[in-house]
Order: sequence, then C-alpha cells, then structure tokens
Amino acid sequence: VTHASAPISLPPIHRETLPNGLSVVIAQRPGVPLAAVRLVLRGGSSLDPPRRSGLAHLVALAARRGTRRRTGPEIDLAVESLGAELGAGVDEDATYFGLSAPVEELPRCMDILADVATRPTFPPAEVKRLQRREVAALAHDLDEPSVVADRAMLSAAFGDHPYGHPPEGRVRDLTEARRGDVATFHVRHYRPSEAILVVVGKVDVADVLALVRRRFGGWRGPGGASPPVRAPAPPATRVLVVDKPDVTQSQVRVASQGFPRKSPDYIPGIVASALLGGGFTSRLMEAIRVNRGLSYGVRSRFATSASGGVFFVSTFTKVETTAEIVEVALQETARFCEDGPGIEELERTKSYLCGLFPLSLETHDQLAEKLADLALFDLPDDDIRLFRDRVREVGPEECRLAARRYFPLDRRVVVAVGPAKVVAPTLERFGPVTVVPARKMA
Amino acid sequence: MATPRAHTRVLDLDEVKAHTLPNGLRVRLLPERSAPTVSYYTFFQVGSRNEKLGTTGISHLFEHMMFNGAAKYGPKEFDRVLESRGGHSNAYTSNDVTAYYEDFAPDALETVIDLESDRMRSLRLTTDSLEQEREVVKEERRLRTENSIFGLMEEQLEALVFLAHPYRWPVIGWMDDIERISRDDCEAFFRTYYAPDNAAVYVVGDMDPDATLALVARHYSDIPAGPRPAPVAQGEPSQRGERRAVVRYPAQAPALLAGWRGPAARSPDSAALDVLQVCLAVGESSRLRRRLVQDEEVAVSVSIGWGWRIDPGVFLAFAELGPRVKSARAEAILWEEIDRVATKGVSGAEVRRAQALLRSSVLHELATHHGIAHALGQAEALLGDWREAGRALEHYAAVGAREVRRVAAEYLDPTRRCVVALEPEVKR
Repeated sequence: VTHASAPISLPPIHRETLPNGLSVVIAQRPGVPLAAVRLVLRGGSSLDPPRRSGLAHLVALAARRGTRRRTGPEIDLAVESLGAELGAGVDEDATYFGLSAPVEELPRCMDILADVATRPTFPPAEVKRLQRREVAALAHDLDEPSVVADRAMLSAAFGDHPYGHPPEGRVRDLTEARRGDVATFHVRHYRPSEAILVVVGKVDVADVLALVRRRFGGWRGPGGASPPVRAPAPPATRVLVVDKPDVTQSQVRVASQGFPRKSPDYIPGIVASALLGGGFTSRLMEAIRVNRGLSYGVRSRFATSASGGVFFVSTFTKVETTAEIVEVALQETARFCEDGPGIEELERTKSYLCGLFPLSLETHDQLAEKLADLALFDLPDDDIRLFRDRVREVGPEECRLAARRYFPLDRRVVVAVGPAKVVAPTLERFGPVTVVPARKMA
Repeated sequence: MATPRAHTRVLDLDEVKAHTLPNGLRVRLLPERSAPTVSYYTFFQVGSRNEKLGTTGISHLFEHMMFNGAAKYGPKEFDRVLESRGGHSNAYTSNDVTAYYEDFAPDALETVIDLESDRMRSLRLTTDSLEQEREVVKEERRLRTENSIFGLMEEQLEALVFLAHPYRWPVIGWMDDIERISRDDCEAFFRTYYAPDNAAVYVVGDMDPDATLALVARHYSDIPAGPRPAPVAQGEPSQRGERRAVVRYPAQAPALLAGWRGPAARSPDSAALDVLQVCLAVGESSRLRRRLVQDEEVAVSVSIGWGWRIDPGVFLAFAELGPRVKSARAEAILWEEIDRVATKGVSGAEVRRAQALLRSSVLHELATHHGIAHALGQAEALLGDWREAGRALEHYAAVGAREVRRVAAEYLDPTRRCVVALEPEVKR
C-alpha cells in the first residue's frame, strides 16, 4: 500500500527564545503573499477566577480596544486599511491573537499586534461596552440549539473542573466583571516567558527576527509559570436534558473521558475515533444516516487539552427519534469496543487520515496554528513529520484497546437539547435524568 | 495610507489547459505543485433556479443521490473507494449550480476520474436510496431552516424579494415538495441536467495536465450528450414599495434582515456592490459596525450578504439586535446609514480600505488547490468564463467612490427594499 505515502516535509523553521523569554518560531515558505502571525499566551479560560467565567475571553477582546498610542477605532481602521485581519480569542489552555496581513505590511501590523497584546490600556467605557455586547451576543448564541448542546456537554463532562465552564463566559459573570479584573488578569498572565510568536509566509527570517526583537524585545512581565491545571475526573453516568419546548429536532451529544494532547494514546485514539465517527463511511454514519436516515450528520472526536480531554459523539435528529439515535450510537460504540475494526476498514481509515493530513498544512494560517500548538504542548516537529507513519503503524488490537478505554461504555453523559416533556421520559434508560431550562445555560 | 497593489496578477491562468470533449464536457486543468494534493471539481449547471413548484429542492435531493451507487461502483462504494485511496469528497447545491469535489493525494487521480465518470454515465436511482435520502434531507431542512433563526428569516426574505423567479424558494426546497419528489422525477432530472454538455471538470494541483486530460477523455468520452435544458423564466415584475414580513419565534433577542434585488453576476455593478459590502459591514471599522454595534449599541453583529448569481440576486443586510432593543430604532439607523452612502457617497480612503481587504480575501481563496478549482468553476458557471477567476482584482481596482455611491442609490432604494423582522415570542 503506497497511497499518500510521500513523507511530510516542513519548510525551514527558525526557532529562537528572546532574552525576555518569548519563544519565536518563523517558517519561511512560498505561496500567496500573505503572512500568518499567531501570538499564543499560555493559560486560557482555565485561568478564569471563581465567578469570573469569560474573563480571559473578555481580556483578549478588550486588548484591542485601546493602547497608549491608539484608540480602539484607530486600531480597527489601521489594521483594516492595510488589508489585514486581527482576531483574538481563547480556549481552555491559551489565549490567541491571530493576524493575517499582506506580507509587505507585516512591519506595521506587527507594531500594532505588539501594542495591543503588551500595552493595552483597557479604556473603562470600551470595556463596559464589550461586556454589554458579549452578554447580548450570548442571547443570540443560545438561540442556536447546537451551541446550547456544546455548552451543556462541557458542563456535564467536566463539572466544576476549570475545563467545565464555557470560555465565552456566563451572563452573570460577564456582567459582574470589573475593569480591575481585566487589567489584573492581563498583568498576571500576559507575559513573554509564557508566550509564543509564530510567523509563517514568504518572509525573510532575518528581517522578521529583527522586527520581532524591535517590537517585542522590550516586553516585560513577571517570571515563573502558572501551575498546570489538575487532571479532570471522569464524569458520572447521567442524562442532561436542556429544555427547548419549540424545536422540531433534538441536538444530541454523548461524551466520556478522553486524554490530554500529549497522551501516548493520541494516535490510536484518532484512528479509533475516525473509524467510529469520522468521514462518510464511519460506523456511526453508516448506522445512523445511511441505514436509518435518522440524521443528516454524525461525528465523533477526541477534544484534547493540556491536562485532559473529552471524547464525544455529536448528532441531531427529529424529536420523535431522540432516544433511538442515542440507542443506535451506544450500540454501535459497544459493538466496536467488543470486536474492534475489520482489516479492510482499518486500512481504509488510515489511508483517509493520511491522505487528508497534507490538506491541514496547506495554508500559512494552518501551518502557523500547527506550529503554535507544537510549542504550546511542547511537542517535537516529528509530531507533524511522522504523523502518517504513526497512523500507519496502528493495528486493530491497539485500536480496539483505545476504544475500550475511552469510548462511552460505562461512564458517560448523554446530553439532549429538545422539548423535555417529550424527550426526557424516553432517555431514562440511559441514566438518571436532569432537566434544565435553556435559559439556565446562559 | 496603503495603496493596494491592484494590478498584481494573483493567479497565473496562462498555465490553464482548457479543452472540450466531443460530447460537450468542458475540462480545465491547472498544474500547481506547491502541495502534494489534487483538487477535482465537477460543476453541473443546475440549481434551484431550474426547478418548478411541486418539486422544489430536487437539485439538492439529487445531489445526495449521486453518492448512492452507479454501474461500476455500487451502493456505499463511492466514499469507501475514495477514502481508501486517501481522499475525501463532498458537494453543495446553490441557487445556480451543483458542485462536487474530491481532495486527494496525487496517486489517486485515476480512481477519482473513474468514480466521477461512473456516476455521470450510469447512476443507479433506486427507491430504497431515494426514501433514505429523503429522510436525511428532511433532517437537514430541520437543522438549517426550521430550527435556525437565520434560516427561517432568509426563507421569508427570498419569498419577499422574488414574486415570480425561482429564487423565490429555498435551495433545500419546501418540506412538502421534498416529500413528493419521485424516482421518475429524479430520472428525468438526471438525463437532462447531468449530461456531459451541462457540466465542467476542474483539476488543480500536483498532476500532469496532458496525461490527466487523456485520462479524462478516456473515461468520459462514451457518455452521450443530453437534451438542452429549458430556459429559466425571467418574468420578475418590478417592485413599487417596501415589502415586509414578521417571523414570530421563541427567541431571546430580536433580529432584522433586509434585502434588495441586485444585478446579475455578469453586470459590471457586481464588483462595485462587493466594494460597497466591505465599506458597509466588513471589519470593525466598517460603517454599519461602527454605528450600530459600537456607537449606538443597538446590534451585537451586522453583516452584509451579496452573493453573485446568474440572474439578479439579493443584497442583504442582517443584524442581531440587543435583547431589549426596539427593532424600529435599529431599522431607522440602518436606513439612515444606507441613505447616507446613497446620497453623500463614501470617501476615497474607504474605497482603498475595501480594495485592500478584498485583495486579501481573494488571496485567501486562492491559497489552496481546492480554492483555485472552485474559483475557476464558479467564474465559468456564473460569468461564462473561467478566466474571470483571475480578474477579480482588476474589477475591484476599477471601482471608484462614484460607482459605490451610484450602486448604493440604484439598488438600495427604500421603495424597493424587503424587510423581515424577528419578533421574540414569549411563552408560558
């Protein structure tokens, strides 16, 4: 078998740590004349203090609302007039600033990025306005059943663990946050020794390095690292029904404990998950969509973070078949854990994963994201370079063991967003049922 | 202020090899070896605009049927064979086209050509697979329309903007029509719209164009040409006053969707409307974001949708409003801003900002084999010439502040607008 077998070759990568501790990664490659820049700060929403969910998120958004040299609207106009895009956001492990800019405008854009990330002034009126906007935006987000289901799943899978609250925050916490919380978080957690700056594109390494030293070399912050987040405990088996009385389709999630990004089970887990619920020929797709017409889509995935992770199956079906789709998903999962994959099926899935992999490295932004993740999780380049060889080495028994260990068998949560009156009684066979109104998810 | 390098050629189309087979199949190939992948797009010149009431949604339902087996590769085999060769596929249906793609490692090229030509030649339409896909499509409609606020509003808006043209109904079709489409309908649809002379193939990536063209010719040449599809009726009457609809739904906050009939994609005004779109609502410093989101705080988000279509399409504005905001107030501000552009125009700096952002957006689109193949197909389907894919920046560069003001005045006239308001319904 020689499909998709050419080795993955990475462009030349220059890595350097500035005296202030900032890790710099520069990859020079041909392609469109845009540069991708990613500034990553370790520690994301898992650093939100008690009763301040959404704080890391708010800080990331508020940073571009003003610096000593520029107001928020001036920053917006400067960036956009150069044809660039500057975005910011968080996940559980990190804060991200992403910049995409015409390569010739990189110097001016980097100047703005450094200003925003390292010297924001958090103008009180702008912070207040952002808080109001984020709260209002949540009202719209929570009118989307799939968003409600994802939030409910996080909370059911992780409980009180720092990974259990939504990175975008809860309405009450977002409302009560003060400007002082924002500024303190920034001082404490935005520091060069905990930051990674990645630049990818048709750039000159020496020029970019000089630029980075000039713009980020003077950045100072407290030393030391934040303590790692404790490992989450596996969830207790239960059913969470989020009541949305008027929908005609239920959103469904089935989740169990996963593993951290650096786990040795990462590769066998990816292969097992792809067999169960990746692509168009997976076990779940066949059972749920092709054979029964129960849904338009179903997929499974390991979401991996620094200290732990979650495995989940995600799908949706008309309200009347909610219990049936859960039943089929659990049966297929149990059957897979029992028998493991067939040889032909395993080979097909490995070829699929290997063939797809180069497509995830095609653009500058994609490569920047991959390189930033390597640095964030302290992984070697071989994680990319040898990905396909490692996938090809996974055997059927290794795959079955990964499935048995992580897939939802004994300890798992079932989440359904739909009309509770109809749905909740049918789900009792999957565990003790809790019903919460949709507005409680805010 | 930055001067956009508007004259830079972003895509070297001199390398494209273009050929038409005797049965009418158009083939366009572009070798590009920066990544070890190939993208293979097949565009069929059919979408919801070719449909009739009673069988609306057939283009989209049919797209699903294309994955259910043909003479050589039977049911369930299409994706299995493709995935086992390191590839993946998907498809979409729009108002105007139905497009299928495969992205894969170069050594799977012949397999992909075999798979695609097999289903164009000899698709097997069985009652079983039709019934199963019908259920899947109904779930898709529940997902994207019935339980999606934007989906509900958009469906109402298109029905306001168009009285006669088939753009009036949603691409996914009305639920009753999805129920009604028969196997015979599908057979007739296939014979007419999936014939090689109604299709074009685009291959971009790590491949040899001459060898690939020979392979395509070998696999497709025996497929007979089809009948000429019926022309699409164009009898849309003119609009003589505002049209409104209200959607009541148990939502937590109101929203506003407005739309105006724009020009056809081929009109030179299309590019000017792209520039207007960026001036109005792309980026934090755009006019509507500043005014509605930052200054007045009536909206949490504002966006403009201006999708080029074969026949005159819709220029739409969508705003998610704050939970306690009065819809009428947000509307008044929106009309005021649009009127300001129509009467006073935009500045040269705003146009240059828009051109710079559009340039980056075109570069992003053309950064992958997939993106290039799609851009070629889209340009040929909507504008009649794949070469247009490389000319977008020239068109944008030719747009000045005067054109932006003119198209705003001409198309966004208050007497020709359609408005859909979402009114949150309080229950219990």
